[in-house]
Parts: sequence; structure tokens; C-alpha cells
Amino acid sequence: MLEIDNLVAGYGGVPVLREINAKIAAGEIVGLLGANNAGKTTLINSLSGMVKPISGRILFLGEDISKLTPQARVELGIVQVPEGRLVFPEMSIRENLLLGGINAHARKHRPQQMEKVIGLFPRLGERLTQSAGSLSGGEQQMLAIGRGLMAEAKLLMLDEPSLGLSPLFVQYIFEIIDKLHADGLTILLVEQNLNLTLRHARRCYVLERGQVAAEGDAETVKNDPRTRSAYLGL
Amino acid sequence: MSELYQALAQGLLIGATYGLLALGMGLVYGVSGVVNFSHGDFISLGMFMCLALYSAFAMDPYVSIIITVPLMTAIGALVYIFLIRPMVGHQFLMVVQLTLGLSLVLQNGILMVFGGEPARTPSFVESKLIILGDTVLRLPHIIAFVVSFALAIGLYIMLRATDFGRSIRAVHQNAHAAALMGINVGRVQVLTFALGIGILALAAALLLPGTPIQPNMGLRYTVITLLVVVLGGMTNFVGIMLGGLIIGIAEAFGTIYLDGPIGLLLPYIIFVAIMLFRPKGLTWSSAR
Repeated sequence: MLEIDNLVAGYGGVPVLREINAKIAAGEIVGLLGANNAGKTTLINSLSGMVKPISGRILFLGEDISKLTPQARVELGIVQVPEGRLVFPEMSIRENLLLGGINAHARKHRPQQMEKVIGLFPRLGERLTQSAGSLSGGEQQMLAIGRGLMAEAKLLMLDEPSLGLSPLFVQYIFEIIDKLHADGLTILLVEQNLNLTLRHARRCYVLERGQVAAEGDAETVKNDPRTRSAYLGL
Repeated sequence: MSELYQALAQGLLIGATYGLLALGMGLVYGVSGVVNFSHGDFISLGMFMCLALYSAFAMDPYVSIIITVPLMTAIGALVYIFLIRPMVGHQFLMVVQLTLGLSLVLQNGILMVFGGEPARTPSFVESKLIILGDTVLRLPHIIAFVVSFALAIGLYIMLRATDFGRSIRAVHQNAHAAALMGINVGRVQVLTFALGIGILALAAALLLPGTPIQPNMGLRYTVITLLVVVLGGMTNFVGIMLGGLIIGIAEAFGTIYLDGPIGLLLPYIIFVAIMLFRPKGLTWSSAR
């Protein structure tokens, strides 16, 4: 579904990512691991089109998308649930969800899509008129994921969904992620939490200083000494 | 007593239009972080366009808006795309400098074309008066009040209940997240600025009947708009309309009750007094 081909990207012409190669097959759940500053967020922002590539290509469903705007990519179904959730605090849950489906492709199906999201997160459905800023961190994460689903995502990219949540909520959010995966959604899971990710993702990439340090199925990555060194900076 | 009613009524009527002027500025500030110091000069531009259309075709200002609103909206879009956008995201002061420069260009451009003599643009409603008891109201003021409030309510509904309105609020609350939703943030910023200038074209026609106009009056409108926006808390819709009414009433009281310079200063004195006690604007509550 997604193929990253020798991608070099960064800010102001200074590369953060150096020659990244990676693949995600349809229906797969892939983990993207790495310590702080390894380039995880830069990578998914490159996939979202928020960071412009310096060289290399990104293919989605066989098409080169590396020059497309963020809007065009959302319309194709490449949807990011950003780190820190970034819900619109002064808007209601309902308005946040409507904005999730504002792209030209998803706009027509918003009522049906909203029913699905509420079915997945009944807690959101109970308080549609409540402002997003008044929700707890865990509820905001539900809303952020729901908002991402409203866009009719084909590839859902979750940036640090466990960040700052209580263990109970982390467990709940990851059950939801498993459920979405079981329903056939392709997921890229960006996480700092190594063990959690290895339990849920089939395959993982480990980033270190902007390069892929280790890759493979969860077991391989777990036992790869480079994974440890990427995390401990040894 | 009748003087009091007179001042209150006149202030409220004009204040609604001040509120409308400030809503345009507040929207632009909300989505782009730009404070447009040429705001008032765009009002003069709108007024002088009406004057030109009157001189050429004897067009009433209320009819001229068919031409001035689309024209000014287009000018707003072009100004944003070619002048302001390249500056946004750099130094805040650079944008201030730019809009101040634009203000001088507009002022002197108008001066070159129309000359410095005060001019008037007649309208068929100009001298119509409405008398309620002891209070004498000018029809243009009533029209300005009604249209301004109707537009403000229309804007409010647009912001709450349409996708474009929600996009504006989303960009205001978190531009990065808005882009991730597939909102074209640059487009929203251009359209909001264009909308803000288009509103000024309407406001210009509302303020024009009976008012002598001069090329250098823009700054006064800019300052009034700034007062109102700051009173309203920059982006608070209700606060801005309230701020407009307060400044309008202060101005009317100043001219009716006080002589000369002190009277003209009254809105500014009241502004400073309010800011001393509510530094974050009228609708700011300490509980939050």
C-alpha cells in the first residue's frame, strides 16, 4: 500500500531523515519505533505532506504522492492522528468529528461515518455537544482517533497514542487499535513505548538519528541488538 | 434627559457598525495572526470608490456596493497573496510595518486621484430623519445599525454552522491540526482576509451618507477598530460587538456632552479605563 523509497526529508533544507526505505502492505499494522528525536514524527509528517521531501519518493497505492499537498493526501486516505491529540478545544465533540470528515472525499458520507465512530466510542456519542477542551486526555485520544476515522482513512497513522494516558486508557486505546486492524484498516503505529508496540504490531521499523536502524517482525526487532542501542544511544 | 437618549441611540447605531469593522479585523487576526494597520484606509478606499461611482454614474452608495464589495474582496485577496502572505510567519513587526506602509500608499493614492478637499457623496436617505419622542435619529444610522447587526448574525451563523466557518475556527484554534484534517490553511487565510476587506466595503457604504470624507481619515477608523478589537478580546465574537457599542456610545457622549478635544478623547479615556480593570478584554473572566 505504502512504499517509502530512499526518502530524505527535513526542515529548511537540513535533512532529518536520511535515505529511509520502508513498506506497509494493505491491512498490516506496522510499528515505527525510536527514541526521542529519532525522526519518527518527521517521518509521518513527511507522509502527511507537512514536511517536504528533499529527495526520494513516497508511493501510495502505486502512485508517487511525494509532491502532493497535505489536503490531497488526506483525500487519498492517508490520515494522521497527531501526537498530543491536537483536538480543537473550543469546539464540541460533534464539530471535531465533522471537521475530521471535511475533506472533499469524505464529506458526503459524514452522517454514516459518524455513526460508525460513535459505535466504536460510545463515550463520545453520549456527549456530542461537550467541548473537546473539557475532555480527559484519554477521551481526547478517543476523539482524535474518531476524527481520523471520519476522514475515511485507508492508512491511519497514529503518533504516540499512549502518550500521557493512564495504563487503563492505554489498554483501551490499544484494544481499539487491534479492533480497527481486525476490521482491515492499515495502521502505522508510531510509538516510543517499545514493549507495547511489539505486542501489537506485526512488523516494526526502528529509527535512530534519522535512519532505519533495525527492521523486521516483532520478534526479530525485539532481539536485535541495534534496537537496544537505538533506544539507549549506545 | 432627551439628550441622554439622543446620545445613547446615536452611539448604539454607529457602534454596531464599529463592531462589524472590528469583526473583520478579529477574524483575520484569528486565522493569520495579522493585525492590519491599513484597515481604516481600506474603509476610505471603499468610500472613495462610492464617491467615484456617484460622480461618474450618479450611483447611490447603497447601490454602489454591488460593485465595491466584489472589487474590494478581490483586492483583499490579492493584497493577502502578494503582500502579506510572504511576510506571515516571520517577524510580527514586519507585518505591522508592511500594513502601515500599505496604509500610507492607500492614503496618498487616494489623495493623488481625488485631491485633499473634503468631499461628500449624497444618498437618497441622507437627510431623512426619524423622530421618536424627543429623540431624532438619522435614517442612514438606522440602516447602518440594522445591516451591521444582520451581517454580524450572519457571520456568527456562518462560523458555527457551515464547513467554511468551522474551517476558519479550526485554523484559529490549531492550524497544524486543521491542515491534517485536509483543510487548505492558506486558502482559508486568503478567503478570510478577502472577506474582512469585503465587509469593509459594505461598512464604508453604511458610514458614508452625510459624512464628509478625506483621504487621511483612514487612521482614525484603524484606531477605532483596534480599540474595539482589543476591548473584545481579539477573537471573541460577542465581545467585539459589545466593544463596538461601547466605543460608539463613548463617542456620542463625548461629542454631545463635552466640548472640543476632551469630547473627542472620551472613547480613548474609556478604553484605557476598561483596559486597566480588564486587561484581557470585556468578556474575559478570571475564573478561566
